[in-house]
Amino acid sequence: MIGDEFSLKGKVGIVAGDSGLACSVAEALAEADAEVILAGRGLNAREVQDVQAAARRMGRRVVAVRTNIAQPRGAQAMVDKALAEFGRIDILVNTVDLPFGKPLVEVTNDEWRRVFDANLTAVFYCCRAVGQHLLQQKSGRIINIVSGLAVRGMSNWTAYCASKGGVLQLTRALALEWARANIRVNAIGTGWLSAEEVSEEAEKDPLIRYIPMRRKGKPSELGGLVVYLASDASDYVTGHLYVVDGGVLAHA
Amino acid sequence: MILEQFSLEVKTAIITGGGSGLGREIALAMARAGADVAVTARHLERLEETAAEVRKLGKKSLALSTDVTRSDQVNRMVERVISEFGKVDIMVNNAGSGAPRKPIWEISDQEWREGIDTNLTGAFYCCRAVSRHMVERQQGNIINVASGYGLRGDRNLFMYSCGKAGTILLTRSLALTWARDGIRVNSIVPGWFATMPRMDPEVQRFIASRAPFIPVGRPGHPEEIGPLAVYLASDASSYVTGQIFLTDGGGLVGGFAPTHYGPIVPI
Repeated sequence: MIGDEFSLKGKVGIVAGDSGLACSVAEALAEADAEVILAGRGLNAREVQDVQAAARRMGRRVVAVRTNIAQPRGAQAMVDKALAEFGRIDILVNTVDLPFGKPLVEVTNDEWRRVFDANLTAVFYCCRAVGQHLLQQKSGRIINIVSGLAVRGMSNWTAYCASKGGVLQLTRALALEWARANIRVNAIGTGWLSAEEVSEEAEKDPLIRYIPMRRKGKPSELGGLVVYLASDASDYVTGHLYVVDGGVLAHA
Repeated sequence: MILEQFSLEVKTAIITGGGSGLGREIALAMARAGADVAVTARHLERLEETAAEVRKLGKKSLALSTDVTRSDQVNRMVERVISEFGKVDIMVNNAGSGAPRKPIWEISDQEWREGIDTNLTGAFYCCRAVSRHMVERQQGNIINVASGYGLRGDRNLFMYSCGKAGTILLTRSLALTWARDGIRVNSIVPGWFATMPRMDPEVQRFIASRAPFIPVGRPGHPEEIGPLAVYLASDASSYVTGQIFLTDGGGLVGGFAPTHYGPIVPI
């Protein structure tokens, strides 16, 4: 059967984050037959219900946990819930993303700290909390969703670029550290995504001209890659950045 | 349904170097995902074996003896596939081989040219041969199989590294050229796999000896290349183009330090 090699049957995934992207990722994991914990502070009830309905069609559950995963206690709460509901953890997908653009000389101490707390430190807390469990089990998958701005620069986006670059380096170092424990750690670099349908106004967005495919991506276009990286099929892949961006970085 | 995105039903794929090694695994994986598959290589015998296995999976197959360093043969091969199957959807440029590794002053002009031809020019000829067809149809998918040595150098390694690195930039430029033509072009970059173009025991022993230097502790199993190729050829990767996809057990991440070197240093 095609797709058997990508099946996540018997596996439990945690998606850390509360955005539309987090919900889209949770849905993809559930459709590939995983049980899922969706953990975030600002989960949208309607989006969560849609994901849970999609999961039910597969006979799987998506359990939502309202917690601040950018705090150590929140990260631990997410892990505890996964173990309580499903008895195991196999996959962690970090999706938290706080965009921020401001000329460097105007960036306040508080803004710098908040960007790093959300974009980098949250990843550290979640990896540490889940990692303890994965190390005991000697297997697991961690997928950190970053941005193309983890590898290229953008004017006014110093804090954001630095924080995402940090996640990429964390990914590489952690991949080496946990390789012999059979835990694979990879990153997905996304381009510009939009959940909305392409509209005329979107077409006029000057940004579109710089995307070789001349359109933004849909969050659902990440699903296949998340499933591949979460599955046994990708056991030889670790420490790498896989980019889904309509060709932007091919030109960078 | 997410798993349906990986389907290659009604697609036709050509895999060069499809008789053995990674090419064979890619051919079989694509057939399992639903594609009809044409395989090419210089020697027909192993090609016929692969084609037979594709047919056992219920898909159509063609085995075509082709030297990818000869553009006339490449053009004829593609024409033959189009006339048999009606179209080409996926082109996998996997053909390539190691070139003599020796001091630069011992490398002849001919050896340099042959090394570049096998590892880069062949991919160029194949991409060119399917180009008009794919652009006319406004759809297509190309996967160039490079090598970790296309990203890192090594002592006395010239033709292979330069050739493979060239295929990566060929990938990027083609992707940018065709981004609005519905054609996606990407590269798979394999690290050490337990298979090489020529499967002689000494080579196998050498690859097995690399295990301590590979973070995951083992070379790749050839079957592991299949799902990645299927992902890149299918709708699951619809927003992906111009990119490289490493599968190397973490080999290229560590840089120069020995695997697992990590001193504990407190603040």
